[in-house]
Amino acid sequence: MNSELKIRSDLDVLVRAASPEVDDLLDLAFRRYPDDESGSFAWFGWRETPGGIVLTLASIETPRSGDLDDTVPNICFLPPSIRRAVKAAQEGRLAAAVVHSHPAECHTGASIIDDDMDTYFADLFAGYTPDRPYVSLIFAHNASGQLSGTGRIFWRGEWHAVRRFAVERKSVYLEGYSSSVRLSAHAAERIARLRSAFGEESASRLAGATVAVIGASGTGSPAIEALARAGVGHLIIVDPDVFAASNLERVHGSWDADVGTAIPKAEIARRHIQAINPDCQVTAILGALPQPEVIDAVATANVVLGCTDQHYSRVALSDLAVRYLVPVIDCGVQLEGGGGNVTAQVVQLVRLLPADPCVYCQDMVSNQRVQQELMSPAERAQRMTAAEQAAERGEAGDAYWQELPQLNTVGYLTTTAGAMAAGYAIGWITGRFDPPFLRLQMDLGAPLFGVVDARKQPRAECACRRARGTADQGGVDAFIWPAAHWSPAVIL
Amino acid sequence: MSRERIERELAVLHEGGLEAALVSSSRGDCVLYRNLPTRGAKRNLPSVADVIVPVPSGYPAAAIDLAGLTANSALLPHLVGGTNSQGTFVAEGQTWQLASYHPHGNGGGPPWDPMQCGFHTYVDHLLAWLARLNQ
Repeated sequence: MNSELKIRSDLDVLVRAASPEVDDLLDLAFRRYPDDESGSFAWFGWRETPGGIVLTLASIETPRSGDLDDTVPNICFLPPSIRRAVKAAQEGRLAAAVVHSHPAECHTGASIIDDDMDTYFADLFAGYTPDRPYVSLIFAHNASGQLSGTGRIFWRGEWHAVRRFAVERKSVYLEGYSSSVRLSAHAAERIARLRSAFGEESASRLAGATVAVIGASGTGSPAIEALARAGVGHLIIVDPDVFAASNLERVHGSWDADVGTAIPKAEIARRHIQAINPDCQVTAILGALPQPEVIDAVATANVVLGCTDQHYSRVALSDLAVRYLVPVIDCGVQLEGGGGNVTAQVVQLVRLLPADPCVYCQDMVSNQRVQQELMSPAERAQRMTAAEQAAERGEAGDAYWQELPQLNTVGYLTTTAGAMAAGYAIGWITGRFDPPFLRLQMDLGAPLFGVVDARKQPRAECACRRARGTADQGGVDAFIWPAAHWSPAVIL
Repeated sequence: MSRERIERELAVLHEGGLEAALVSSSRGDCVLYRNLPTRGAKRNLPSVADVIVPVPSGYPAAAIDLAGLTANSALLPHLVGGTNSQGTFVAEGQTWQLASYHPHGNGGGPPWDPMQCGFHTYVDHLLAWLARLNQ
């Protein structure tokens, strides 16, 4: 019999999960598949967003021998495992979850037996940790072999349906909701070549996907254009800056008439997207990571592209990947010259999956740069003055301020980098290909592009090893917080 | 600012018997270390000092830097960078003066590592600073 609980569906409940935890969890859930159920307790971080909640799989309470009653076909947790889970809930700060499978031939909707179990556990955990959601997820394989799931959470005294799953490298068919977006005839025609290359399912996935692009200038704007043309359904564009004349050489969608108008770059991106693909929903934000309004938006994305040349932004992107389980591709360029020649035209693409080494493990961050980027204008001015005074005394002024060279760049190079990043995002969303690198560097002027994959191993003691999936509850391990002097982000 | 992280670091200091607190100031949030020992007694200078350290913007991504004493402290002229004021501000009802002290900015300390360093490790640099009085 089907669930008889009163489940609300007006809250945007998104469940995120990433490897390796989600692989382990599904292995446990399908341990007795196809005939019988199995499952596990698990722990989720969460972030409340305007109109919703994002839940992130942080860890699994792997069942031990004697934790589950394998003599019955349905999932049945025995007292030792329940006691352990309650103790872990009391000692930790994450939300408790029960994840289980349904046998083959069964749909993933909750039954009245599941109602009994969920009501029991929701009450039990609420008694010990009343402010946290309780999460219940059910998985199965549907008739067409797809991983299929349903979920519900008990939060603040009410049950809410899970409306979306964002699982790394997996497409989860959400039973009871339309996960397959139907394209209009015109929209389908617009991406006819992509559909024939990648298939109808890919087109549907792109139309149902959300991609966030951090930075809407040289590398961001071509990425945005490629994604809009590919039919991505929702683009979130984040940039703190307004358009300047020197951007015209690189920013796709900008016009000469924009010079001097102080139009935000994110607004130019919105205008350009809507001219290409009016079906695309655009959220344009004048702001920067890790401002809370920006995290609220991008934590719901399937993929985030990092398209800024700011080191603090890379730190924030890495934190986003680790704590909120959002896959990130960061891209950048470097143009060098000497003796009248261009000596290097480097494109860098960095994959930041939640389990990948973070930007600190990969030695991608200059602390001096981050510090100077985050200083308030007043502090910056004071530091510069102190550096000048040190120079007058014949001392090094580096401790106060280091002049950082303006990165040279050029439109064809930024377009190459941005388009490649967009391509890998499309590969991820459609499930057709993965970035085959961790940190790709290529030089357009070198033989065979001089491609290297500058791989590094994670440091065991790094916060990126312990904070995965902890979301807001892992704030103590956050890599970065917004600078106090920043203006609040504005959703345009 | 990660208040939770700073509070965790302050708890480490408290466990070690040191008194430190997060305070507001006219310059922004700061950590105030109380009663840190100095080697001033031999010179008729204070043998303990309260030291204030600004929480940098974006902390922990940005390195902790600088150190301040009360603006009228007799120790200031004897400390590295003490005569090179990096600004004054008010906190806890007192005026503080920041010295040009940069242990993580080529000032003798290790490079800033946000995964290892914090206000609980910065105290080691402060103790070394307060012990190294010049004429």
